[in-house]
Amino acid sequence: MSAISQHTNSAPQPGGSAQPVVRLEGISKFFGQVRANYDIHLSIGAGRIKALLGENGAGKSTLMSILAGRLQPDFGRIVVDGEHRVFRSPKDAHLAGIGMVYQHFMLIDSMSVADNVLLGHEGSFRISPAKMRERVAKLSAEYGLEVDPAARVGSLSMGERQRVEILKLLCRQSRVLIFDEPTAVLTPTEAEQLFKAMRRMAEQGKSIVFISHKLPEVLEISDEISILRRGEVVDNFVRAQVPDEAELARRMLGRDLRKGDDIALSAEILPGSSASDAGTAQGLKEIMGELPLPKIKGRGKFLAQSEPVLSLSGVRCSAQDSVGVHDVSFAIAKGQILALLGVAGNGQKELVEAICGLRGLDSGSISILDHPVDEYWKMQPPHGGLGYIPEDRRGVASCPDLDLVDNFLLTTRKLFSRYGLLDRKRAMRATKALIREHNVLPGNPKAKGSELSGGNLQKLIVGRELLRNPRCIIAENPTQGLDVAAMEEVWQRLRIAKESSGILLVTGDVSEALALADYLAVIYRGKIVDLFSVEDRAKVERIGLMMAGSASLAG
Amino acid sequence: MSGWRIVSRTEPREWGSVVIFAVAFALSLLICALLLAVQGKDGLGGIGLLLSGGFGHLYSYGETLLKAIPIFLCSLGVALCFRLQVWNIGAEGQYVIGTLGGCWFALSFPGLPVWLMMPGMLASAMLAGGLWAAVAAVLRQRWGMNEIISTLMLNYIGIEILKHLIYGPWKDPAGMNFPVSPYFAESAIIGPVWNPDFWTGIGLSDGIVDTLAQLFGRAHWGILSCLIAGALCSFFLRKGMRGFEITAAGSNAKAARFAGIPYSRLVVLVMFVCGALAGLAGMQETSATLNRLEPHIVVGYGYTAVVVAWLAKLRTMRIAFFAFILAGLRVGVENLQLELQISSSFANTLEGIILITVLAGQFFNDYAIRRKPRQSVPGAGV
Repeated sequence: MSAISQHTNSAPQPGGSAQPVVRLEGISKFFGQVRANYDIHLSIGAGRIKALLGENGAGKSTLMSILAGRLQPDFGRIVVDGEHRVFRSPKDAHLAGIGMVYQHFMLIDSMSVADNVLLGHEGSFRISPAKMRERVAKLSAEYGLEVDPAARVGSLSMGERQRVEILKLLCRQSRVLIFDEPTAVLTPTEAEQLFKAMRRMAEQGKSIVFISHKLPEVLEISDEISILRRGEVVDNFVRAQVPDEAELARRMLGRDLRKGDDIALSAEILPGSSASDAGTAQGLKEIMGELPLPKIKGRGKFLAQSEPVLSLSGVRCSAQDSVGVHDVSFAIAKGQILALLGVAGNGQKELVEAICGLRGLDSGSISILDHPVDEYWKMQPPHGGLGYIPEDRRGVASCPDLDLVDNFLLTTRKLFSRYGLLDRKRAMRATKALIREHNVLPGNPKAKGSELSGGNLQKLIVGRELLRNPRCIIAENPTQGLDVAAMEEVWQRLRIAKESSGILLVTGDVSEALALADYLAVIYRGKIVDLFSVEDRAKVERIGLMMAGSASLAG
Repeated sequence: MSGWRIVSRTEPREWGSVVIFAVAFALSLLICALLLAVQGKDGLGGIGLLLSGGFGHLYSYGETLLKAIPIFLCSLGVALCFRLQVWNIGAEGQYVIGTLGGCWFALSFPGLPVWLMMPGMLASAMLAGGLWAAVAAVLRQRWGMNEIISTLMLNYIGIEILKHLIYGPWKDPAGMNFPVSPYFAESAIIGPVWNPDFWTGIGLSDGIVDTLAQLFGRAHWGILSCLIAGALCSFFLRKGMRGFEITAAGSNAKAARFAGIPYSRLVVLVMFVCGALAGLAGMQETSATLNRLEPHIVVGYGYTAVVVAWLAKLRTMRIAFFAFILAGLRVGVENLQLELQISSSFANTLEGIILITVLAGQFFNDYAIRRKPRQSVPGAGV
């Protein structure tokens, strides 16, 4: 045990906490040829909030999975309280006091909050449910994590569910809590509450590791910031030294360091550079050729100028296990982006399913490009129709077990088929061109969907959907989990696509809605609280309240 | 704590998987030897008999090939369903109903010339088998009935229908009251591939003719349908639009629905194709080997097909390989029955043991067992 190396390249620790709780020493992890983590040294101190910044595929998730015991490092060691530990499973990490709040909650909906906390608890046989409720109530009061211990998890909002996840860790007396993009599913108010709870946990001596792409948040909450790039830690800052937002973003992307490589390429597609985008799109266009307008028997007017491209009137649908949709009406014309803004779980999913023809309507009507929704999905024009960028990239937008060509073909297959046969050679060429032009990493078209990071998968999906020249686009939280560069790229592509189509942007991120949309429709419990122009300052001010359901304030 | 740990492999094995299969296969045969020994028989000698019966002689290949034909066709269809994650275990019933469809045609129009009889008989077998399978598909898509249950139950119903016909309306009046149909007309009988008269006629030497006669034995022209069906299947799965849709929907049904892939139609399609292939297999087997309808047509090829599909991981070429192996073992078990007086159900036991050991062996394709690094041991124990 004496072989603990004394060298560390992390930032000096003010406040005199002598020894970090956890130290990662020279952690490296390889997936085949891919270097996910390389020689990472990181110290996590007691009572500190550490933010981990990095673009997609930088290795943050891998690193934290190693710390949480889900993956084993190829090289390097984890030192907890000065002692070398090996985590073979998340359980080992839990025993060492390390726990993680994942982006996708691991809760059982049909059970109560207390039961969920009790589950997997060490020595759970000896703890009575009543005692557990008491203990959960006490903990939630202590850290300001308000939640009713007796409530059924299925009935809770996303924010409350996250609190249950945190309580699970606190109950196990975890000392190191890792948060993977915790604010993605929260309203601004809920995010504030979470930050307060995090502060309180830090005051009690817990260590917090916080993964986020939202720079303002990181600056607001963290004591220390570490930046990962291409699997390596490239910068460590303590609060006092942190440069401004722009500088942070630059360091994360490494743009000033690596000129002319793929990262710089993606940075070119920032707002205002649509010309260069058109230039790079040549290859794909050459392969695809001119897409003739689809001819559909007896439907000559299908591609006639339709105004609006998507319209809903009085749409109602009920759902067994969710709020459903109640009397939703709006219309989107070509050249417009309407943001459907709301916290996840307020009927957005049902509404999108209804538009995609996968959920029946109780009443009301939906029309896509001048056709009733059922009729539209029967025709399914190969292009010039509706493009869909789903929120769930791995579950809905792609097939993780298939390669990128097959994933590319998933929605574009009709553009590559003739007499019922697929032209796979052309599809391969098109996929390669798309990978090049949309800067998808790794660039091997034979890679499986599951081998791509979320951001790179999203680039492929966005490219694939835009390829079909859609005249109506549904984009569901298109930048969730993406780093700044990828986010800007997706935004820019949507802005360009807007010129030829109408876009329904379903998002929970106010800043995204304000950055892109022309109109905002705030949804709460399946109802549109209000629909207004993004210019309407007074209403924009009250968005947070509207999202939380303060209907009276909507005016 | 032991000094070993299980780690997941990041790089797939190459030739290693062949070695793993060979070891697992040998292990399953050893287990079977043990089972024979428990019954007081000569275990290893029995395994020798088993293997020599299926693969040991020139003439065993003919018999093995004969049994491999229906197993391959059924397995091809089953694999197609499994690819879409539709768990059709009803190839057995589809085989029976398909045979009945073909027999109906052969018995109803005995006077037809061969060029009308053959296509008509086989098409009506495929149609009957396909429709029978489609029943389960519709039950699944329309009313959410679990296809595992429905296809299994339809197997029993199919066999009952066979019994009803053979003991009732289709019984041969001249058949001494045995439950058999009248013999088919000459035009409805599929001949053996190896017809010495034909081949000597085109100038092959006697020695070759003789060897080949032994090699092909009773194997019939159904082998041609295997080649065609196998080629079409792999072609459409690789190049065809529907094939792609099946692969995609099997990989992620939800993504497929959102991408506008007609999922329900695909389920009906794969079930129909599977039923048609099973029906074709049944009719060819009946026509070529029995020349009439008998209750003996039900010998469990439809279940063996499921085993083959799994062993082959749904790949067409491997299906051919495993169909041949399992057919050979079936032939070998017949040998064993004669020599050692083993019950015929030993064939099923054998299939089950092979499936379990080979599938368990596939664990080593994805994981490796490595010795834990020495330095980590002290820390882990604390």
